[in-house]
Amino acid sequence: MSARKLVADKLLWEPLGRWKRSSPELDRVQFLKTVPFFDQLSNRQLKNVSDIMFERTYEVDESIFEEGQPGAALFLILEGKIAIEISRETSTTRLAVLETGAFFGEMALLDDTPRSANARALERTRTLALYRNDLNGMIQRDAQTACQIYRSLAGMIGDRLRSTNELVRMKIPADEAGLG
Amino acid sequence: MSNGDDFEEKEQERKVRRKVFHLTFAALALITAGFLIWKLRILILPIIVGALLAFLFRPVKERFKVRWLPHELQVLCSFAVIGLALFFAFNTLRKHIPDEEQKLEFKVRLKYKLNEKYRQLVAKMPGAKPNALTPLIEKELGPVMDKINLSLGLNSEERDLFLKYAAGYNGKPPIESKFVDYFRANRNTREYAIPEKAPARAVSSTGPVAAAAVQPPAATEGASLENKLSAWILAPLIFIFLGFDNGQIRRFFISLVPNRYFELSLTVLDRLDDAIGKYLRGTLTECLLVGLTLTLGLILLGIPAGIAVAIGVVSGLLNAIPYLGTVIALLIGVTYALIAENVRPLIPGLNPNDLALYVVILIIITHVLDDVVFQPFVLGSAVNVHPLVVIIAIIGGSLIMGLWGMLFAIPTVVVVKTAVATFFKELKDYRII
Repeated sequence: MSARKLVADKLLWEPLGRWKRSSPELDRVQFLKTVPFFDQLSNRQLKNVSDIMFERTYEVDESIFEEGQPGAALFLILEGKIAIEISRETSTTRLAVLETGAFFGEMALLDDTPRSANARALERTRTLALYRNDLNGMIQRDAQTACQIYRSLAGMIGDRLRSTNELVRMKIPADEAGLG
Repeated sequence: MSNGDDFEEKEQERKVRRKVFHLTFAALALITAGFLIWKLRILILPIIVGALLAFLFRPVKERFKVRWLPHELQVLCSFAVIGLALFFAFNTLRKHIPDEEQKLEFKVRLKYKLNEKYRQLVAKMPGAKPNALTPLIEKELGPVMDKINLSLGLNSEERDLFLKYAAGYNGKPPIESKFVDYFRANRNTREYAIPEKAPARAVSSTGPVAAAAVQPPAATEGASLENKLSAWILAPLIFIFLGFDNGQIRRFFISLVPNRYFELSLTVLDRLDDAIGKYLRGTLTECLLVGLTLTLGLILLGIPAGIAVAIGVVSGLLNAIPYLGTVIALLIGVTYALIAENVRPLIPGLNPNDLALYVVILIIITHVLDDVVFQPFVLGSAVNVHPLVVIIAIIGGSLIMGLWGMLFAIPTVVVVKTAVATFFKELKDYRII
């Protein structure tokens, strides 16, 4: 590679690349592309979704939501780690630890039934929140995008139902064997 | 001391510093905001009106979104359409707001017609037969009529001006000879009751509507009017810039909310937006329906379309003031009906001489329609406010901000009531209180 081309690359493309990389909006769109929830959406649709999302940063041990509170938003982890836990009178059971790219609280996109578990940041965590009524509002403005998101949500709930059924099916013979 | 303890201590210090900083900042912000609100209070009303219009028309903006058209251009187009509609409405209204000559003519006609009706009522017209109630009516209404005559009477300057206009003055055609005859007849109006002490100052009024407005001192009137006009330029600007907003303002305020209240604040804002939006848009639609009904009714009664529209617009707008709006509509309608001449009702069988009675009936029908059909249909389950609160709010609003205060009293009560109820409900749901 000639010295002139190297200089040109250095002067022209690097700043442009830096600018592209440093644009938070573009970063968010790029990030959303990696989330299975939105993988069917085009760049324009992802931009529309990104526009209605709220970025929130949680400190270590800070609660994101608590069990029993009405759900209002789905959260995506931009950066960091969170724990999903259930608290009982004397103990706390950790159900899962979620990291960058994962999402949680998706049932809140359907209705405001109470959260079934606590979500707590295990380290400094940046999240993107999608509020239920903003997604509902999107039905009027960009019905195709909203439909695709709801479809992903339905698919995900269907998968979970199948897994739960499988678990129940596996548990019943085990119980029967135990009883017998 | 271990590294861990040192870190804990530093964190504690940081927390205290953060609290002190937040409290100081909040106190300074409150003081500055209070000072600015007091100093710039003239801007409050235009800002409220601009923001309210933007809020009211937001669903229209969202409903008619054209994907290929830039957002800003869409907002400007919708602003142009709304602006044109408002311009035509106010232009129609302005044409029927009387100028100096029309005010004098209006007073003369109203005084003459009222006296004529009164004389008919108490059978003082030639050929009319008195009945048993006549003395009672005379005793009760006589002093009232005297007071009305006193307030509608022209002073010497006004009389000279009227005579000038009668002959054609200031580039205007001469006043109809019939009205000049009324003027002469009015000069011979005698008192109906034993003369009472005249009030210290004669009320200079152009009619019942204008009586409510308190005029500022003449010396400062010009300057304050100029200030007010320049402040009102803000209203369309606020409307346009809030129209450009694509949720950025909401996001900014939400970003200030601590994480603990994030979902709560989203829910509260949304519920408030929904409840207040429903109420305000419902009220606007209700006012529009009332105005339309009145306009149509007045046209059917034979009142010229322009005047019917003007009365309809004013009455429709004032319908936003519960109870009082209907009374003002009644006063405007009946006053016009009393001075109207050569009216030919479109409904066959109506006697043009009883126009005032028909207008009263029309306003009662409109009021009943409003209560039975419009309100349940348009407002539905929107916020209900107790009648006593309504009356207190209207009086309070009028004391603070005059007519605007009366107009905004109920929406303010609704906003506060909804905000408090929603806030407490959500705080409980989120187990914060």
